[in-house]
Amino acid sequence: MKVTLEVKPRQKPYLPIEAEGIVPRTFFEGTDSLTVFRGNKELPLEEIFNVAIEGEAESVDEVEIIILGDSSRIKRVGEYMDGGRIHITGDIGMHCGNFMSAGEIVIDGNADAWLGREMRGGRIRCHGSAGDYCAAGYRGEKRGMRGGTVEVFGDAGDFTAETLAGGSVIIHGNAGDLSGVDMKEGELTIMGDTSRACANMSGGMAYVHGTVNDMIPTFRKIGQEKVNGEPYTRFSGDIANRGKGTLFIRNYKYLD
Amino acid sequence: MTELLIRNACVIDPLNDICGEVMDIAVRDGKIVESVGSGAEVIDAGGSLTMPGGIDSHTHICGTKVNFGRYMSPEDMRAGRTARRGHMHSTSGYSVPTTYGTSYRYSAMGYTTALEGAMAPLEARHTHEEFTHTPLQDMMANTLFDGNWPIMQAIHDGDIRRAAAIVGWTLSAVKGFAIKLTNPGGTEAWGWGKDVASIRDPVPHFEVTPAEIIRAMIEANEMLNLPHSVHLHCNCLGKPGNHQCTLETFDLVPNANNKRQSLYATHVQFHSYGGSSWRDICSRSEEICRAINSKPQIVIDMGQVMFGKTTTMTADGPMEFNLYRLYHNKWSNHDVELETGSGIIPVYYSRKNLVNSIMWSIGLELALLTDNPWQCILSTDNPNGAPFVKYPEIMALLMSKRYRNEIFGTVHPDTEHNVPLAAIDRELTWNDIAIMTRGAPAKALGIEDLGKGHLGEGADADIAIYPININETDPATSAEEVIRAFGQTDYTIKRGRVVCRQGTCMVDGKNTTIWVDPHISENYSMDHDPEFAKNFDRYYTVRMSNYPVQEEYIRRNLCIETEAQL
Repeated sequence: MKVTLEVKPRQKPYLPIEAEGIVPRTFFEGTDSLTVFRGNKELPLEEIFNVAIEGEAESVDEVEIIILGDSSRIKRVGEYMDGGRIHITGDIGMHCGNFMSAGEIVIDGNADAWLGREMRGGRIRCHGSAGDYCAAGYRGEKRGMRGGTVEVFGDAGDFTAETLAGGSVIIHGNAGDLSGVDMKEGELTIMGDTSRACANMSGGMAYVHGTVNDMIPTFRKIGQEKVNGEPYTRFSGDIANRGKGTLFIRNYKYLD
Repeated sequence: MTELLIRNACVIDPLNDICGEVMDIAVRDGKIVESVGSGAEVIDAGGSLTMPGGIDSHTHICGTKVNFGRYMSPEDMRAGRTARRGHMHSTSGYSVPTTYGTSYRYSAMGYTTALEGAMAPLEARHTHEEFTHTPLQDMMANTLFDGNWPIMQAIHDGDIRRAAAIVGWTLSAVKGFAIKLTNPGGTEAWGWGKDVASIRDPVPHFEVTPAEIIRAMIEANEMLNLPHSVHLHCNCLGKPGNHQCTLETFDLVPNANNKRQSLYATHVQFHSYGGSSWRDICSRSEEICRAINSKPQIVIDMGQVMFGKTTTMTADGPMEFNLYRLYHNKWSNHDVELETGSGIIPVYYSRKNLVNSIMWSIGLELALLTDNPWQCILSTDNPNGAPFVKYPEIMALLMSKRYRNEIFGTVHPDTEHNVPLAAIDRELTWNDIAIMTRGAPAKALGIEDLGKGHLGEGADADIAIYPININETDPATSAEEVIRAFGQTDYTIKRGRVVCRQGTCMVDGKNTTIWVDPHISENYSMDHDPEFAKNFDRYYTVRMSNYPVQEEYIRRNLCIETEAQL
């Protein structure tokens, strides 16, 4: 089954749309009355999107949703997704892939904040950049993302992989401030630079292949180790939090 | 004139010795009367259990500390979200819900009156503002005096009449209801980086002991003729072996009032631990209950722990700091100038954890081993032991040995070696539960004469009708029925109006704040005491003239005026 959702031109395109109904399962189970919210107004899906559905599906995994047009303010797409595929050809709004447990989301453009928040499984690939709190937990929650993979080919914002508790996060560009803060488990890889990486981490594993600025001083330096033949410094911590996390860093700078 | 007639109500009203009698209840203008005219609105209870509105005599639902619990736990707000509907505001939160959430949930369970367990006098305005927005319960505020500098100074000088005068002045200034002592002296000592390890341990600088504070405040309480007794959270909360401290505290209590108790000891579950460390902690509920059974001058509440997520919040600063060191989770501690302090920590009570399982067991043991249900009130110290929405489950646990055994089978396997619960066969009756949630709290708080906690003529028409027939239901074998029935009333009636119908609140509501104003002679009036004024200006960050809570903070209110023997 192929579901094509094309965002119609909107008079006020900056008004966010809450569209947690856009998941493969809703279309697999059939829907006549799917609605989205704009502010406190409930609107039929058709008012925001041109909807085209082709073919049948035997299981939820055979459902593919393609989102075309300006979807940069469409929020919560793929929330609680448990199978199938979502392909977003442009940018996507906040909270894409919240609580997702299986399936795949591919974003050709950029993603706004909270991409893959509290994700349980599945895979998200973002070919552009991601906003703040990519693959993070939510306010106050102790455990964030618990499984699956998030891969961002551009940069990521601040608080990337905050309270990470499982799964893996790969950022090909740079990550903002406090990436991996309060991390508990799982694996975080940053190909570029970041700052104050993994503050307060209690477990898990992180690699920074670029430079960590403002390196947190409460990590114990274990020594030099080779990663793929290159020299890295291995740290353990955050000892301020009795942490047992491991950090491999190519270059680092302490705060002056 | 509005009239209401409730027909075929199966009434349990312990204060009037009515137990399971099917009768009609007539209400006129919010009061219970002998009879009403034929034009009255009629509710047919159909033989359902009908009781006075529930009274929670120790709960933390309004004030700065509760609000800080909300503030530091945004994740708690993700639970229990409901949308706006009819007269109901939107709500959110589980262990520290929004004020409306608290009010609606209490009302759905048939509760119409609640006592906020701890209000720092300096922060009274916030508490009263939240009272205004808890519209379906009449509210009272326990006022904290555990580390009050001028009072400790007066006790040190041996001038208990002066201590009483300061209490009286403060209560009427902040519109408080009763004296609350939370770890007396301990929070002040913590300001010096210490705690008090026993009731004989002096507070730094003031050189008074908790025992002296407790005894003096009991005496002061009686001098002021307050409706409620001293409301005490004993020292050493949550420490293994603290039952000694609790027993010593109970030994201090004279029988100073023949109408009610002289000491209300709150959440005694947290004060009944044996052993010397977390490894050998055990229940000492039997000794505690033996003391209570022999001392009619003491009333306790359970402070039952139920498994699951909650938030602990208390004015006991050092205890919360110890908890923080144990859990290593987020934590907050506050200091309230020269009065008290507070601490807040989210916790998870797990049935797989031996200590938590023992705590769960001790609360139940206290209720089951206290012979006289008038001396043990049902509470969870909401939200410290569990959110109050767990009350129906606690009632079922107390009423059914079978249900208790079933849950006992799911807790940590070593629990049975540390607690006597498995050997207790007592099952509480419907009447016992009515006493523990209506009669006893009303009597202990001294508000039964105001028409609270009973259905006699002239009483406030606060009535709860539960969808259960007590003649057809055996609580010992049908715990689910009991939980369902106590979880949601058919009708909750407040001041003669149906405020909640099967969980849906029907009115915006407007509550009453009950407070006390002791009349003190000019000689002891703190308004004209130069030393009190001098120290006030010297140490407080507010002016003495700005300190009292203005009338506009308390909308509808009921002032209990007492004549102090001063």
